[in-house]
Amino acid sequence: MTTATVLVPETGFIRWRSVHAIWWRHVLALSRVWQVALTWFVIEPAVVLLAVALGIGQLVGEMAGFGSYAMFVAPGIVIGTAMFHAIFECSWSTFERIGQSYYETALTAPVTIPEIVLAELLFAVTRALISTVAVAGFAIAFGWIPLSALPGLMLVCVGVGTVFGGIGLLFAALAPSMHALSLVFTLVATPLYFFSGTFFPISVLPDWLQPVAWAAPLTPLVELARGMASGELGRVHGYCALYVLLLTALLYPLAVTLMRRRLMK
Amino acid sequence: MTAIEARNVVKIFGSLRAVDGVSFTVARGETYGLLGPNGAGKTSIMRMLAGLSPISAGEMLLSGLNVREESRAVRARLGVVTQSDGLDGELNVRQNLEVFGFLLGLSRRQARVRADEVLGFFRLGDRARAEVDELSGGMRRRLAIARALMGEPEVIILDEPSTGLDPESRIRVWEELAELKRAGVTLLMSTHYMDEAETLCDRIAIMHSGRILDEGTPPELVSRHAGSAAMDIRPDGSSREAIRRQLDAASLNYREVGALFRVSGANGAPPLLPDLEGAQVSERAANLEDVFLALAGRGLQEEQA
Repeated sequence: MTTATVLVPETGFIRWRSVHAIWWRHVLALSRVWQVALTWFVIEPAVVLLAVALGIGQLVGEMAGFGSYAMFVAPGIVIGTAMFHAIFECSWSTFERIGQSYYETALTAPVTIPEIVLAELLFAVTRALISTVAVAGFAIAFGWIPLSALPGLMLVCVGVGTVFGGIGLLFAALAPSMHALSLVFTLVATPLYFFSGTFFPISVLPDWLQPVAWAAPLTPLVELARGMASGELGRVHGYCALYVLLLTALLYPLAVTLMRRRLMK
Repeated sequence: MTAIEARNVVKIFGSLRAVDGVSFTVARGETYGLLGPNGAGKTSIMRMLAGLSPISAGEMLLSGLNVREESRAVRARLGVVTQSDGLDGELNVRQNLEVFGFLLGLSRRQARVRADEVLGFFRLGDRARAEVDELSGGMRRRLAIARALMGEPEVIILDEPSTGLDPESRIRVWEELAELKRAGVTLLMSTHYMDEAETLCDRIAIMHSGRILDEGTPPELVSRHAGSAAMDIRPDGSSREAIRRQLDAASLNYREVGALFRVSGANGAPPLLPDLEGAQVSERAANLEDVFLALAGRGLQEEQA
């Protein structure tokens, strides 16, 4: 339809107050359920980390170049958990807010769709960061990640927030129903969690599967996190960072386009 | 001074022309009603004005600002109450107002002060800490109107402000809207209730199938399309078919509503009924409902022609 082109001239500028206010609203809403949120951020990942590091770790023994299995797996679990937060926020929560006319109301203020998308991504980053501090803090306490790696891990989590927030928004904008929306977990989050080099090095996968695993959007982030944890960063991490930036640069305009189609009729 | 101007506005959804060339103006301080059944295009007009829906063709101006080109500036001067209320269930009553005020550009302190003012105006002060889910339908609607007032808008758009409310809540909403009008706020509202339009609106546009069939003050519209009085005919002894034939022969404007034939006059005069033997005829004051039935009936005939 031609009508989609004639609305608000949104390309002009980003009004930061819009982004700030929507982000603040999300922080406020989250802080009102902090008791429950605490279980998402602390208890759930702690259970996973303990089970994997202490349980599976006992069977695996040393990992060449990484020390214990716990030291190998911990950065990946930090990133994987942050991914779930970012993707959940921007798919599930965003979808619910669409249904409850939250964005419709916000758009009656001087707010534009790109500002809404930026606010959602910013909050996805926020959730990813809270999760990272919680899970990494746990791993640091057990000596699996050095404390000095925390700022680096937080930096990587900004990328987790933008990439997986962006992917979540695509699903929220396209899903006709809650049932359809659950595909974001079945098709994206869960496979990525297990096949992005978190629990085993990608090099142990069959040859044909390795390129697929490398192209998966979580892999470069896990690789970067592991580099941050070990303090050994090389050329490959440069490529990983570029890939994350490229994904963000592609996902943002796509999310804006699809959200506009969903919200402006 | 013109608050709202619509010039030949069109809204197309796929193959449907939901709004089909609508023009009207609303003066500053005026309350203007869009009256019509569901699907008449009322909501589409309001959504286009609020920038929630792209305008397919034509122009809309708010205080001289073009909605198409300056939607952000338009929305800064506009308060909008949508049909869904759009309240935030994850925040309490006061937070709904303050967060929206901050979104509009108020400082947190200004938002707090303004929230107190609107809570006071809508007598919701004692519910400030309540969850939105705990409010009655009437309170939710009043909170949605309160939220629309946070930015002290020049114009307020209300999409069916009293739909779904119990009679007491309706009257309360009406009183509060009348008070806003007295304070000089321009109101554009849609409704499918004739009594609501008659009570609140200075002028009304009667809409059907995306078009404005006629426009004027309620008394003007009644006099023009329903005459000074309307007749209700209850067939009783005579057959419905016979009455229908006689009314058609006299070229009268009528609708069959339930057991009744409702006959309206025109041009300030009551209808001149033929002698309907056996039927019970009663005269009553014509109202907007008669206008609507007369106009919508005609509109339908034009569509079929």
